[in-house]
Amino acid sequence: MKPVPSTTLHDERARRPTARPRGAPTRRPRTDWRAWGAFALLAGPLLIGVGLFKYVAIGWSFLLSLSEARGTIALGHWVGLDNYRALLSDAVFRTSLVQILLFTLFIVPVTFAASLGLALLVHRIRRGRALLRTAFLIPAAVSYVAASLVWKMCLFNGLPAGIANTVGGWFGMSAVPWLQTTSPPLYWVVLVTLRLWLQVGFYMVLFLAGLQGIPKEIHEAAALDGATGLRLLRRITLPMLRNTSVAVLMLQFIAAFQAFDEFYNLFNSGLSGAATAPVRTPLVYLYDTAMGAQNYGLGSAGAFVLTALIVGVTLLQGRVTGFGKGEE
Amino acid sequence: MSAQTSQLSRRGFLGGSVLFVAGAAVGCTSNPTGGASGGAKTTLNVWSHAYGEAGTQQALTRYAAEFTKANPDIAVKVTWTPGDYAGKLNATLLTDAAPDVFEIGDFNDSLAWHGQIARLDDLYGSAKPDFNQGDLDTATVDGKLYGVKMIDDVMMLYYRKSALSKAGITPPDTFDALVAAAKALTTKNTKGLFLGNDGLGDSAIMAVWSNGGDLVADGKAVFGSPQAAEAVAGLKRLHDDQSLLLGFTTDWWDPAALVQNVVPMQWGGLWSMPAIRTALGDDFGVLPWPAYKPGGTPVVRVGGWTSCVNAKGKNVDAAKKFVQWLWIQQTDLQKDWSESYGFHIPPRKSVAASADKVAQGTAKETVELAAKYGRHNPGAWNSAVSSLFNAAAAKIVSGQGDASSLLADAARQAQSEIDKQRA
Repeated sequence: MKPVPSTTLHDERARRPTARPRGAPTRRPRTDWRAWGAFALLAGPLLIGVGLFKYVAIGWSFLLSLSEARGTIALGHWVGLDNYRALLSDAVFRTSLVQILLFTLFIVPVTFAASLGLALLVHRIRRGRALLRTAFLIPAAVSYVAASLVWKMCLFNGLPAGIANTVGGWFGMSAVPWLQTTSPPLYWVVLVTLRLWLQVGFYMVLFLAGLQGIPKEIHEAAALDGATGLRLLRRITLPMLRNTSVAVLMLQFIAAFQAFDEFYNLFNSGLSGAATAPVRTPLVYLYDTAMGAQNYGLGSAGAFVLTALIVGVTLLQGRVTGFGKGEE
Repeated sequence: MSAQTSQLSRRGFLGGSVLFVAGAAVGCTSNPTGGASGGAKTTLNVWSHAYGEAGTQQALTRYAAEFTKANPDIAVKVTWTPGDYAGKLNATLLTDAAPDVFEIGDFNDSLAWHGQIARLDDLYGSAKPDFNQGDLDTATVDGKLYGVKMIDDVMMLYYRKSALSKAGITPPDTFDALVAAAKALTTKNTKGLFLGNDGLGDSAIMAVWSNGGDLVADGKAVFGSPQAAEAVAGLKRLHDDQSLLLGFTTDWWDPAALVQNVVPMQWGGLWSMPAIRTALGDDFGVLPWPAYKPGGTPVVRVGGWTSCVNAKGKNVDAAKKFVQWLWIQQTDLQKDWSESYGFHIPPRKSVAASADKVAQGTAKETVELAAKYGRHNPGAWNSAVSSLFNAAAAKIVSGQGDASSLLADAARQAQSEIDKQRA
């Protein structure tokens, strides 16, 4: 069931209608009306969909956060800010906020540096660039769930035969349960390597696009003036990448705060919840609260606290880095 | 990409879209799970979690087809739900696609408190005395029955006879002996005991019960008691000795660790016994979770699945009819379900008496253990309450705090959770 091939048959016809309005300005009122009709027809479903499934849902969720809603998403039992109060007085939720902040502070710079470094390396080489670019990008197409299972079952399982433990064995280390060792917290090795593997390639491509957008002349002029190596990088390349960097940073912050998939899948036993996991992100906590315990009021309140946090950090970051101000 | 889209004519695009949507709609409405038949007035949507044993899905679909044969006006669509069953069920119950009949594992009272499941007292009829009293009790909330127990699942310790006798160890009958055995069976490359990938599984619950403690009694969260704290703190010894298998590829509810000879002792379920017997022959035995200390008691956990009717569904009467037909009246199908795939104990005494495969050898021993030492989770043991308890236990066994204060704290929060839910 692929509609795409049939459209190539309409090649010629397809070009004519788009050319008509430009060539015949006198017929403007009628074409305007038709354009509006087409606009409504094409954009309408999207706008209705976004309105219905995003904004109505967000509004409803906000009202839910002010209600006592257990096992139902019907409104009516208003409790004011009780849910927010309960949430912020819950040590588990507060711990999860602290943990996600620490995780973000660690993972964002590391992902940023790794993807930028990789982009600079890939950009420099002359042969096989496309191959390397593809190779690094492929992990971005893997789902978090699939990758989590590979990490959990093959690479970092607790058996001596696990890949990480086998490699450790070559250096005389005894087998350790990577995900369950809390002192030292080895589970972070699993979480961080997984996220880096999945994300670095994607951000690398964004940086590569930025690098390719820098005019060659600037580099040549700088080289003529004697700038080389690190100086060229710091004075020319990085400033020219500013817009890309700011966008990448913002995406990484949001992705870090929304961390769920790998935390859930690595620690979940397939039964109920992830209460025994050594680390629970806010989203894992909220999933357990809403989907496990059916406390939709508290879950919604948590969603808004987390959203406020993400918006706050993004605004702050925008202020510091000047996002959206443009180059000119 | 933009070059391609500009070649799309509007009509071609619309035509393609319509075809695509039509195709998708046809694809979605055709029923991949089977069981439904044409000409029926009502179609019941029945949800089941994905049982691990081969043949279970086909069996359930077959039961559904037999029901439709007996009741031609009611078709049954069985939805097999892999993954996080409880999460998916809870989410779907809020929507129009909610199942009419669904099973829940380890019945707890919150669905009844929320008004999400229908009362089923009138379905039992004369068969009620034939049901195991414990199974009636678990499905009873404030004196009313809200479900029909489909199967009892017994959870206990499995051990490899050969591995223990080779090490000169007798099957442990006290907690101290269990700790010592697990330690003695641990070598450089193998661990002695598998309780779950998180190092806990059911063990914290079992520890509390084995020391004469309780979890929730008469609506009060009582796992903050000294007995509970003592026993959960005792589990830390297994962790300190590093004799627990952690981070295996499957969790405790799957017998893989035992049958692949990765551990000699494993917490597991009666449902796995056919698979274990196939793999190990007679080289395995079962034990209750041992008494924590003299004066305590050995325990096994009795869980299992309960069939419930969605009180807010459109076909409550037909749904009740299905539950009554299958899980109360059709004793031969109940027998088939209990012993032809994984092993379970049928909740009806007469069916249990006729289930001959479960009534011999090690399975029989397990059934006797369940009768003697079996404990059900309390009705208030929903995911919010059990999460609080297990999170505290996880902290205790990994040495992040004092057992009595952590458990007392968790019990206090659990109490406010229970009070709020009942309100």
